[in-house]
Amino acid sequence: MDQLFDVSLFASTLRMITPILLAALGGALCARVGLFNVGLEGLILIGAFSAIVGNHLTGSVWLAVLFAIVCVLVFSLLLAYMAIHLKANVIVVGISLNFLALGLTTFSLRAIFNVKGAYYDKSMVGLPKWDIPLIKDIPWVGDVVSGHSPLVYLSIALVACLQYYLFKTVSGFRLLAAGQNPVAARSLGIKVTHIQYGAVLMCGVLCGLAGAQLSLGQVTMFTEGMTAGRGFIALVATMLGQSNPLGVAGASLLFGFMDALSTRLQGYALPVHFTMMLPYVVTIIAMFFFKDKSYLAEARKANESSR
Amino acid sequence: MLLQMNKITKSYGALKANSEVDFSLRKGEIHALVGENGAGKTTLMRILYGMETPTSGSIVVNGKQVAFHSPSDAINSKIGMVHQHFMLFPTFTISENIVIGREPAKTARFDRKQAALITEQLGTSYGMPVDPWKKVEDCSLGLQQRVEILKVLHQGAEIIILDEPTAVLTPLEVKELLIAIKRLAAQGKSFILISHKLQEIMDVADRITVLRDGKLSGMVNAADTSIEELSRMMVGRELLDLHKEAPARGEKVLEAVQLTIKGEHGKPKLDQVSLSVHAGEIVGIAGISGNGQSELLQAISGLAPVDSGKALLRGRDVTGKSVRSIREQGLAHIPEDRYQWGVAKDATVLENGLMGHARRYQRGGVLRGAAIRQLVSGWVEHFGIKTGSIHTKAQYLSGGNLQKLIVARELAQETPFLIAAEPTRGVDIGAMEIIHGELLKRRADGGAILLVSSELTEILKLSDRVLVMNEGRIVGELPGLTATEEEISLLMAGG
Amino acid sequence: MDKLKGILRALLQPLLAIVVGLGAGAIAIAIVGGSVTETYAEMWKGAFGSFYFFTNTLSRATPIMLIGLGVALAFRAGFFNMGSEGQMVLGALSAAVTAIYLPGPAWFKLVAALLAGVIAGGLWSAFAGWLDARFRMNLLITTLLLNYIASLFAGYVVSYPLMDRSGSAAMAQTVMVDKSVWLPKLFQGMSLHAGFLFALIGAIALAWFMRYMVKGYEIRMMGGNPLFASYGGVNRGRLMLYSMFVSGGFAGLAGAGEVLGTQYRYLDGALTSPGYAWSGIMATLLAGSNPLGTALAAILLAALQTGGMGVERNTDVPLEVSSIIQAVLILFISAKFTYSFFKKKKKAGA
Repeated sequence: MDQLFDVSLFASTLRMITPILLAALGGALCARVGLFNVGLEGLILIGAFSAIVGNHLTGSVWLAVLFAIVCVLVFSLLLAYMAIHLKANVIVVGISLNFLALGLTTFSLRAIFNVKGAYYDKSMVGLPKWDIPLIKDIPWVGDVVSGHSPLVYLSIALVACLQYYLFKTVSGFRLLAAGQNPVAARSLGIKVTHIQYGAVLMCGVLCGLAGAQLSLGQVTMFTEGMTAGRGFIALVATMLGQSNPLGVAGASLLFGFMDALSTRLQGYALPVHFTMMLPYVVTIIAMFFFKDKSYLAEARKANESSR
Repeated sequence: MLLQMNKITKSYGALKANSEVDFSLRKGEIHALVGENGAGKTTLMRILYGMETPTSGSIVVNGKQVAFHSPSDAINSKIGMVHQHFMLFPTFTISENIVIGREPAKTARFDRKQAALITEQLGTSYGMPVDPWKKVEDCSLGLQQRVEILKVLHQGAEIIILDEPTAVLTPLEVKELLIAIKRLAAQGKSFILISHKLQEIMDVADRITVLRDGKLSGMVNAADTSIEELSRMMVGRELLDLHKEAPARGEKVLEAVQLTIKGEHGKPKLDQVSLSVHAGEIVGIAGISGNGQSELLQAISGLAPVDSGKALLRGRDVTGKSVRSIREQGLAHIPEDRYQWGVAKDATVLENGLMGHARRYQRGGVLRGAAIRQLVSGWVEHFGIKTGSIHTKAQYLSGGNLQKLIVARELAQETPFLIAAEPTRGVDIGAMEIIHGELLKRRADGGAILLVSSELTEILKLSDRVLVMNEGRIVGELPGLTATEEEISLLMAGG
Repeated sequence: MDKLKGILRALLQPLLAIVVGLGAGAIAIAIVGGSVTETYAEMWKGAFGSFYFFTNTLSRATPIMLIGLGVALAFRAGFFNMGSEGQMVLGALSAAVTAIYLPGPAWFKLVAALLAGVIAGGLWSAFAGWLDARFRMNLLITTLLLNYIASLFAGYVVSYPLMDRSGSAAMAQTVMVDKSVWLPKLFQGMSLHAGFLFALIGAIALAWFMRYMVKGYEIRMMGGNPLFASYGGVNRGRLMLYSMFVSGGFAGLAGAGEVLGTQYRYLDGALTSPGYAWSGIMATLLAGSNPLGTALAAILLAALQTGGMGVERNTDVPLEVSSIIQAVLILFISAKFTYSFFKKKKKAGA
């Protein structure tokens, strides 16, 4: 057991959760304004791919991250436009967006790099690993906490920022209001649609970062469909965390740990299939403890008087 | 003159919701706006509050002509509105609800302490104290209304529109509200009070404007008029006096024995309710909405589980049975909220009409299309339901026509027992007369009807016996023929 | 009049979407420097160019149709069943195991294998339905997660206990199903098998069921407004389990059909990598959950995919251009462009 739960397990937990956490924070913002964003998976995938493209084109890892953010923003704008402006069913749009992301990245992989399945270039540089002064010298803690990509630290900082933003600032207060009772918010002159657009676009930025961490932070390559359901797990983390940044972080931590553990367990006698199942099984068990009561409310919303 | 609305017209296609309506308001005045449902009161006020733009006509505030495109424009001109359905955020505190839109802030930080202070000062200065840190979802409806008014005052409103402010209040809360309004008016605020409760209006208003069918029916000083004159102005004709014959009371059809549904915090939603309904009688349940009526109906019809007690329909215990088996035992149900329970908006008139009838109009699990079309077309004709065709989606029908469809559907179940919950809420007078007529006809034919309504006039007009509910219990029973509004109101308040 | 308008409206939307999708594809082709007309000509040839290609397209459409029908039923009932992949995989595995290990005459094995596929897919799907009805666990998410679990489980079964160790290649697959238990081919030498007939019959039966049967009516009303349905006496929990079972049963049948008609064994990844399940969901979205429309949309998507292979064979344009067309199609449909277009016109007319 000592070998199983060693330092590198916790360090890799921290690495693994970053994409999930970033996307889940984005999902939480969307959920707070009343949009159930099923398109997280696709947005991360686009982020991961465009980060590699950006890196390939510019040679700079920072410009690559920026490029990923811009690309994902375009697609989240599309989602926002359809769901908010055209009033299309947000779940259907989210699912379609996932299809579009998969199709586009696969096509572009062929069109740009002329490879199938995966792209890897030895000369490509990934995100740097930052050593935190002082902390890195503390035994154990230093090994776990120090030496990660900047995005890992950024994601932790973002949890605190979002928590503060939502519950302490005026703007965050209005965002919560717009989500809780849009009709009332509108009657007070709060621009609900602007807030919704803002939340979806911010979610896009976060998913762009999540993708960049996935393709430039953990490894330095892109494979077709490399998100492997992380977007959906982020969605569950959003739900489990009740769309509270701190809660979302807690839920993400659980899945990240399971993810890291499942990779680790592969070294043991268990068949790889069962270890890979672990995060999904744990997710379902975790959902058991979060009862979704929204169906009544949804039904009410769908049928409420239009006059 | 503080406010002047001149020749306001608002048309939706061919329909004129307002036609050349004039309205004015002085400083410190309470001006009541009365009229039947659909007379155009709410439309006129939505125009004043910037939620609708008038087709023609002008609005002058403080001598300046204005054009409002959104509620914020109206708010900036010091006009505030308290909506019939409160515009509050249930999980926020009272002070958050009051300052929203103009929050006190230190740079970007929302200063909640300052907000609480503002709220406290506001409450004291207008004589309406509140606890700033209490969550709105934990407040009574009367307190929520106080929050709404304080919010409007905090926005700096000089003109305050109150849309049916007393509809959901207990008589005691109504009294408090009217006193508060008078005090504020004395402090120089001006009120527009929308209501159809004439007694309250006579008590509090200075002037009264009456609307009928979207047109101005008259404007009078409260001191120079009477309730009788106002009713005539509202309706425009003598209402048909539905002739109610003495009940030919038959055997017991429905019996509820100590029905109880537990609620949160140990306070039951439905507390040992016992009642019976006989063939050939209408039993009316009066009460302010939210006092257990919905739970009672859900318990009887099988939509909510019962914690203790039982319901007997035609002598058979139906407690805890499925909705379908209870319906088969002889229950039909006009639901209280037609959009929530009564229809699927995206389905056609035909499909909505079929609900509950599907089992009878089938052969081997296959629907009998022709017979069903004939059935529903029959209702459309008999009830005068205005619809493009029976293949039109339900969402394109007006509220009244949709309600007529639901009533027709449930009457056609031809069950011995019928629940009629708020059967005429939000429908026009014509539809109301048709629906009332049909209910009385069913009674004459020996049907047993349980009527739930928050409109006392409706209860008094139809019921043979009146039961009054308060806080989940039945607190009194009165004979329908001799009961008065005052008696019922008193019981409704729990006294 | 109403009906005619309705049909026109129903047709206009997909047609417009196809035009837009092909337009987007043309842009993608132009970007990679291909000739648009030549590429589309190759695509047409690859999908419908000869009887062989045509039946090949139909054969690819078969699982997509079946899955699409199942999803359409669930969508109509108001449930976002995203679990077709897992349901199909388990159906395929059960069918393969039954066909290989069940004793008895060949026809019996065939019927039992098909049934086993339906039941396995149905139960897996109904399990998600039960979690939702009983514990209010969001169905969209659970079905998605159950996909991974089902695929990994099936992968384990064919990698360890039931792995084919007869051949030289150590592939994660079962041994081959006996030839007598295969689903017959519809035409000599073509890949199209009897599963296509199941799909056709299924489409017509489902369309008829939804339109004319009491249960179909109840399912539609439940999808429209669950409270209305329960108020009218529909038992939501039970109907949900039924419709989820049938929904998953279609996916299970799709898997069984592929095993017994094309693969003749369960080969790990053979059903998941062509993305049948997701194409099925796309077909449903394209057709707005209309069963007959779903069948047509499934053939259209299959044609795009087989056509894409033709493009890949004969031009320099990558076959992924079809995924772009598909994705744009679906996004366009979901935005209800034409719908809002209609609404605007109506308002202007009033």
